Amino acid sequence: MSSAIAAREIRRSYGDRAALDGFTLEVPAGSIFGVLGPNGSGKSTFLALVAGAERPPSGTLTILGEAPHPRLRARIGTVFQENASDPLMSPREYLLFAATLFGVDGGTARRRADELLERFGLAGRANDPISTLSGGTRRRLEAARALLHRPELLLLDEPTTGVDPEERRLLWETVRAERGGATVLLATNDLHEADAVCDLVAFVQAGRVVAAGAPAELKRDLRRQAVRVELNAPDPGTVERIAAEAGLDRVTVLDGEVLVMTDDATALVPRLFAAAGNAIRGLRIEEASLEDAYFQYIQRRAEAVR
Amino acid sequence: MSGVRAAAAIALRDLMGVARARSQLYSSVLTPLLFLVFLGNGVSHGLEPAALPAGNFTAYLVAGTVVMTSVFSSTFSSASYYRDRDSGFLRLLLSSPHSPRTVMLGKSLAAMTIGALQAALVLAVAAPFVDFGWQYGIGGGIALALLTVVLLNLMLTGLAQALATRVHSMQGFHLVMNLALFPLLFFSGAFFPVDGLPAWMKVLAYVNPLTYAVDGLQLATYATGSGGFIGYGIDFAVLGVLGAAVYGLGLSRVPKLTYSGQ
Repeated sequence: MSSAIAAREIRRSYGDRAALDGFTLEVPAGSIFGVLGPNGSGKSTFLALVAGAERPPSGTLTILGEAPHPRLRARIGTVFQENASDPLMSPREYLLFAATLFGVDGGTARRRADELLERFGLAGRANDPISTLSGGTRRRLEAARALLHRPELLLLDEPTTGVDPEERRLLWETVRAERGGATVLLATNDLHEADAVCDLVAFVQAGRVVAAGAPAELKRDLRRQAVRVELNAPDPGTVERIAAEAGLDRVTVLDGEVLVMTDDATALVPRLFAAAGNAIRGLRIEEASLEDAYFQYIQRRAEAVR
Repeated sequence: MSGVRAAAAIALRDLMGVARARSQLYSSVLTPLLFLVFLGNGVSHGLEPAALPAGNFTAYLVAGTVVMTSVFSSTFSSASYYRDRDSGFLRLLLSSPHSPRTVMLGKSLAAMTIGALQAALVLAVAAPFVDFGWQYGIGGGIALALLTVVLLNLMLTGLAQALATRVHSMQGFHLVMNLALFPLLFFSGAFFPVDGLPAWMKVLAYVNPLTYAVDGLQLATYATGSGGFIGYGIDFAVLGVLGAAVYGLGLSRVPKLTYSGQ
C-alpha cells in the first residue's frame, strides 16, 4: 500500500522548545489514521506542517507522493483545532468562498455546497450568520468546508472537541460517507473516538512517535485486562505501599483511580485486597482499551528516558 | 488566473464585511463630516482666517478631512488582519493553494478600496456645501481628487499592512499607526496652510508624504490658481513612488501557517 504521508526524523522548534523531535510516521493511503497524544505533544504542529505543505526545517516529508509544495494544498482539506469560519458570513457563503479559494468552479461549487449542507444537517441554517450557530454545528460546517473540493487527504485536528455525542455521530458518519477514497489523518486526545474510527493509530509524546499500529495490535501487545481500583485516599504513599505489598511493578494513577494492567485479573484481585484491605472503596475489571494501551506505552517511554 | 480570482474573492469578502458592519460604515463617514461642520464653521466664524485665499476655512478644511478619513479608514480596514488571525479565518486563507502574498494582496485591495470610497464619499457630501474653485472643472477636479485619494490609500494601506505583519497585538498596531500618522496629519497642511509656518515646520511638512496628498486635493477642489501650491507633477511623483514602495514593503513580509495559526 502506498503512503499518503511519509515523515522521517522531522524536527521543528519554536524558540528553545522542540515541538517535533525526530518525528517519524508513515500514513498508508486510504486509511483513517489517528495521531494520539496529550496537549503539546506535537500532533497539531505536525498537522500544520502537512496542511501548509511546508518543507520541514530538518528531516524529510512526502505528501501524496510529492515533496511539500504549496500547490499540494489544493489536494488537502483541513479541519483546524479551532474554527476557521468568518462569523459574519452564512454557511453557504463560507462554503462558496472556500470553493473559490480551492479552485472549484461556480456551478460545481453551488451544487457541492448544497449537497454538503444537506448531508451535514446544515441546510436549515444555510443562510443564517455563522455567529448564531452552536459550537457543534460550526464543527460540522468546518468538516463540510474541508470536504468541499474533494481532497485526497483530509486532516482533522480534534474535530469533535466540544461536540455532543449525537452531533459527533452525525459528523463521523458523514465524513466517512463523503471522504471517498481520501486518507484521513486525525489528531486527537480522545482515545475512545480514535479506537472507534481509526484503522491505524500512532502514540505521540514530546514530539516523537512512541508506538504505531492498528488499535487491536497495540492492545494485543499489552496486558489484556485493566483493573481499576478506587481507594478511599489515593495518596502516593498508600498507592506505593499497596503496589509493593501486592507485588506490582507498575501502577498508574488516573482520574483518582489506580490502574493496574494484568493478564489474569482473577489472580490479582485477591492480592490487592490482601494488600489494601479496607482502603479499597471500589474495584472493576475491564478489557484493556486503547486508552490503557496508550498509558502503558507512554509510561514505558518515560521509564526508558529515565 | 486562479490567484487573481482568489485575491478578488478575499477583497470582496472584506468589502462585504465592512458593508455589513453598519456602525463602522456610518461612523467612518459621519465623524469627518461632523469635524468639518464644527471645526470648519467654528474657526471660520470665530477666528476669521482672512489669510486664506478664499477666506473660507470650511472649504479649506475639506482636503485635510478627506486625507484624515483615508488615514483612519486604512488603519481600521487593515486591522481586519488581526480579526482574521484571532477568529481563525486566516488559517483557512493560508491553507489554500495560493501564496500568502495573494492573500495579503486581496486584503490590501479591500482596505485600499474602502479607504478610497470613504474619502470620496466625504468629498462628495461636503462639496455642495462649500465654495470650491474647481479650477479644472467639476469633472476634471473630481478625477484628479480621486487619483490623489487612490495613490494616498495605496501608501497608507501598504504602511498599515507592513505594520500589521510585524506588530503582534492590535492595540500595539493602533498605537504605532496613531503615533506615526497623527503628527504627519498636523504637518501636512490639512488644518492650516504650510506657507505661513516657521522654517523648521516647513521642512517637516515637505518631507511629509501627506502634504502632497493635501496639496493635490486642494488643487483639484479648493484652489483658484496654482500659486502657493506644490503642483501635480511633484504631488503625483511623490505619492506614486512612495505608494508603490510602501505597498511593496507591505507585501514583503507574509504570515505563515503555524500550530497556532498565527
